[in-house]
Amino acid sequence: MTSARMTVVAALGAAALTLTACGGGSGADSSGGGDSGGGDGGKVTSIKLVAAEYSKTNTAKFWDDFAKAYETKTGIKLEVQVISWTDIDQQSSTMIQNGSPPDILNLNVYASYAADGLLYDADAVLSPDVKTDLIDAFVDSGTFEGKMYGMPDLSSARALFYNKDLFAKAGIARPPTTWAEFTDAAKKITALGNGVVGYAMPMGPEEAQAEFSIWLFNNGGDWKSGDDAWSINSPENVQTLEFLKKLAVEDKVTQNNPGRTNRTDGAFSLFGSGKAGMVVGFSPLSATLDEDKSIDYGVAPMPTNDGGEPQTYGVTDYLMAFKKPGNAAAVKAFYDLYYQPEQVNTFIKAEGFLPVTESGLAEFASDESLKVYLDTLPNVHLTPTDDPEWDTVKLAVQQNIGAAVGPDGDPQAVLDKLQEQAESGS
Amino acid sequence: MTAVPTSTRAPARATATRRPVAGRSSPRRFLLPLGGLAVVAVFLGPYVVMLLDALRASKDVLRTPATFWPSDWQFTTFNTVLSDTRFLNWLKTSVLVATTSTLIVILVAVPAAYFTARYKFPGRIPFLFLVLVTQMFSPTSLVVGLYRQFFELNLVNTYLSIILTNSAFNLAFAVWILHGFFSAIPDEVEEAAHLDGCGRLGTLWRIMLPLTRPGLVTAVIFTFIAAWNEYVVALTLMQDDAKKPLTVGINSYVTGYEQNWDQLFAAAIIAIVPVVILFAVIEKHLVGGLTAGSIK
Amino acid sequence: MSATSARSPAGSVGPVTARPTAPGSLGVADGSGPDDPWRRKRRPAHGHASWRVAALWLGPALLLIVGVVIYPAIALVRASFNEYSITGLRRGSAGWANYANVLQHDDLVTVLRNTIVWLVAVVTITVLISLALAQFLAKEFYGRRLVRWAIIVPWAASLVITARLFTLMYDYYHGILNTLLLNLNIVNEPVDFLGDDRWTMASMVAVGVFVSIPFTAYVFLAGLHAIPTDVYEAARVDGARPWQTYWRITLPLLRPAILVATVLNMIYVFNSFPIIYTLNERNPGFIHDTSITFAYKLAFKSAEKDVGMSAAAGVFNVLFILLIVVVYLRVVRPQEELR
Repeated sequence: MTSARMTVVAALGAAALTLTACGGGSGADSSGGGDSGGGDGGKVTSIKLVAAEYSKTNTAKFWDDFAKAYETKTGIKLEVQVISWTDIDQQSSTMIQNGSPPDILNLNVYASYAADGLLYDADAVLSPDVKTDLIDAFVDSGTFEGKMYGMPDLSSARALFYNKDLFAKAGIARPPTTWAEFTDAAKKITALGNGVVGYAMPMGPEEAQAEFSIWLFNNGGDWKSGDDAWSINSPENVQTLEFLKKLAVEDKVTQNNPGRTNRTDGAFSLFGSGKAGMVVGFSPLSATLDEDKSIDYGVAPMPTNDGGEPQTYGVTDYLMAFKKPGNAAAVKAFYDLYYQPEQVNTFIKAEGFLPVTESGLAEFASDESLKVYLDTLPNVHLTPTDDPEWDTVKLAVQQNIGAAVGPDGDPQAVLDKLQEQAESGS
Repeated sequence: MTAVPTSTRAPARATATRRPVAGRSSPRRFLLPLGGLAVVAVFLGPYVVMLLDALRASKDVLRTPATFWPSDWQFTTFNTVLSDTRFLNWLKTSVLVATTSTLIVILVAVPAAYFTARYKFPGRIPFLFLVLVTQMFSPTSLVVGLYRQFFELNLVNTYLSIILTNSAFNLAFAVWILHGFFSAIPDEVEEAAHLDGCGRLGTLWRIMLPLTRPGLVTAVIFTFIAAWNEYVVALTLMQDDAKKPLTVGINSYVTGYEQNWDQLFAAAIIAIVPVVILFAVIEKHLVGGLTAGSIK
Repeated sequence: MSATSARSPAGSVGPVTARPTAPGSLGVADGSGPDDPWRRKRRPAHGHASWRVAALWLGPALLLIVGVVIYPAIALVRASFNEYSITGLRRGSAGWANYANVLQHDDLVTVLRNTIVWLVAVVTITVLISLALAQFLAKEFYGRRLVRWAIIVPWAASLVITARLFTLMYDYYHGILNTLLLNLNIVNEPVDFLGDDRWTMASMVAVGVFVSIPFTAYVFLAGLHAIPTDVYEAARVDGARPWQTYWRITLPLLRPAILVATVLNMIYVFNSFPIIYTLNERNPGFIHDTSITFAYKLAFKSAEKDVGMSAAAGVFNVLFILLIVVVYLRVVRPQEELR
């Protein structure tokens, strides 16, 4: 008898046993558990953090170490679940639908959660000296209806990356400071041939809102006007999108099909291959390029339409705290520990991002390669993350704006439609 | 054991071609292996690309223009992946979950399939249909309810939760395949067994089961692979990094901020190996449950 | 009530529509000789069993299905009647609004068209190629084992990873496929397989077929191996030509296997998520989505971001595939396979 047959026989023997036992279910194994038990009034013995994964190398390791430090300090267990960015929306939604949100959630939006009344505000869970240390721009963007709910975990700022070799070959002396210079440089680089393009423009769904934001901020535009009304189809924004379409369709200085190119596996990989003269990047891209050592690149402020003061587009992600019975003290202890310089700055450094605290700014200042970002960080220009409506507008932008930079694209119409969608939202 | 009144049946070779073995002409001896080579090229081609991507630096994977051979061979990737404790934990989970789920599915499906194939009883058709309907729900749309269910049973973050889920959702295939195989066995086989004094269960596992080996093999492979590759339920139910299966863990290699394409693909190739080994071990039983050799 | 049909053991499909006792013949008799031992009285009737005994044998299976599948299915239906905020917080009852919103969705027609093209193309091409492939794999030749092992690989590999791999291979810039086509002078400039609307669906279908063939071919192969040789001997004595034999003997005897494979393939291909989601990730809106990725995007990626509406779409999806399977079973009339 072969071993495979033995297996089958054994399996059947087991089946017989199961059957004679009238097919009882398997005994429940209750070893898991670990929800933040503790009823009203009582103190929790454990809290749960759902964290987004920035990198395999660092994220899980940092939070594991952090959990140990947290438990040592507070005696409370910190359960960590690290989830990829791709899946974290679905996972957090599943938990909230079932009425079991984590205690701390790491995400790139917060306002909808605040609007739903799910979150603690900073007054309840942030020590005053921690809050004072946060960079003002991030306090502002984390503030919804007068209270701060979105505690920043790290930040990033975008800048123009350019390939020094291609610039030299094309005879361009310095990175462009105006849109006219930019177009000119892109044309010269494209003219080098051999499949090289002047500018890699990712307007696909992954990060189209970021790409469009950085350009429109540098044309004096914005998503909302001063009086808190949507200004998606403002003349400045339409002009910006028309400029981007012209680069792609008329000047043909971008890669093929920019409306359907994503950032990570499209624009960045082209730039990393030395096939694109310029791309909008951020510090994690620097980290990758420095490690690869395959191209010689420089980082410059974004060019503006009229040659005015460049605007820096900044992004921050959040650590928000969910109101659950008895967890306020534990959550507060979490923030106290996280914003200790040796924690928050270690995390940010390892992941290659930018600080969110004044003390962090001072600590990072010595790093020359980050100078171009750090100088502008206190004045970064963010998207309106403090408006819950933005959470859906952003998705609409990601899904639709790419169509505007195609050959049949109509920037005005696309932005009009987005404006209409934004205004009709609740 | 009583001789089984199956007629003399030649092994599988004669099934596909009318010709007797001796009639094979010499061109076929070369043409068939050549055809086999072409088939292998088509089905393995993409995975050869994957292997070559695992053997070059990550930055070269997305390099423009693409080259077939790595410009610099990097043989350390597999070592890196295999010496990573996180990866080994994911692998362990996958093996545990897929093996247990497969075992449960076979244990549960065999009696159900045998019984529905051999006996008439009220509810037989609804039962078979119910089993089929379980396949029609997309897992992503059920995941919210599954989470709730296991949360209330306090089973979130336990192996049991995904083992049970995998077993339940892969039952249909096994029941249906085995049902077909059981119904095809001539009754005389069973009658003879009864005369020999075998009870129902004895008949099932000493006589009927060996006759359905191709079906069992197909069901085992199918279930194992489905459990091995399950993603969204494990993603939702398993929280500890060490308890994640490979499909979920492997996502970590490439994020929006850090890409390790070489390691991702090396890990993916390692993940294929256990399935191919399992298949290699049981593949020969795919041939002819009803052939002469099955009962001696 | 004797069923005289010659049957392949590879599975019988179709309790859905048929009377359980329907006798029938596959018409194989014409092709096989009267002395065909396979044609003798094989399966008189089922033994009868009481529901008590039945409960014993089916108990574990029922327990597993009812215990694990029913609850989330009910939860899905319940969710489709509720209104949720974009965070997933329940706001109250929605009545039929979620269903109405799905039916009034601007892209519904596009999505339905994509779904049907995807389903029909992948299943048809898969079944045809797999039939040929199984026939080939059933022959004996040098290295057959290795070929069989090789074909298992696309099945064994994780779909998510295979989809990512093809996304890389198809790419306009760094895709190996374009490099290959350019070097062979088949094309003059790269093809945008995933971003050019004329190519996107075809590119996805090719991957869908590629990963569906192994499973299908093995079901057919198991079916082929179960066909008794004497049938072929009889046909040979009758002087049937190879094609006639295939058409009149092999195919009819393979019918149950084809039915199982087609029905299961329809369900799996319809529910297939990673291929479409990953290969289509760069394209805006819903232009190349099927109803499964549509439902997912409604919940998490599109401006709707509404899990209630997504649940309603999920319910429609189940009803849709149920309808398709029932219609298919009506058309092919599997009562012949049932006793």
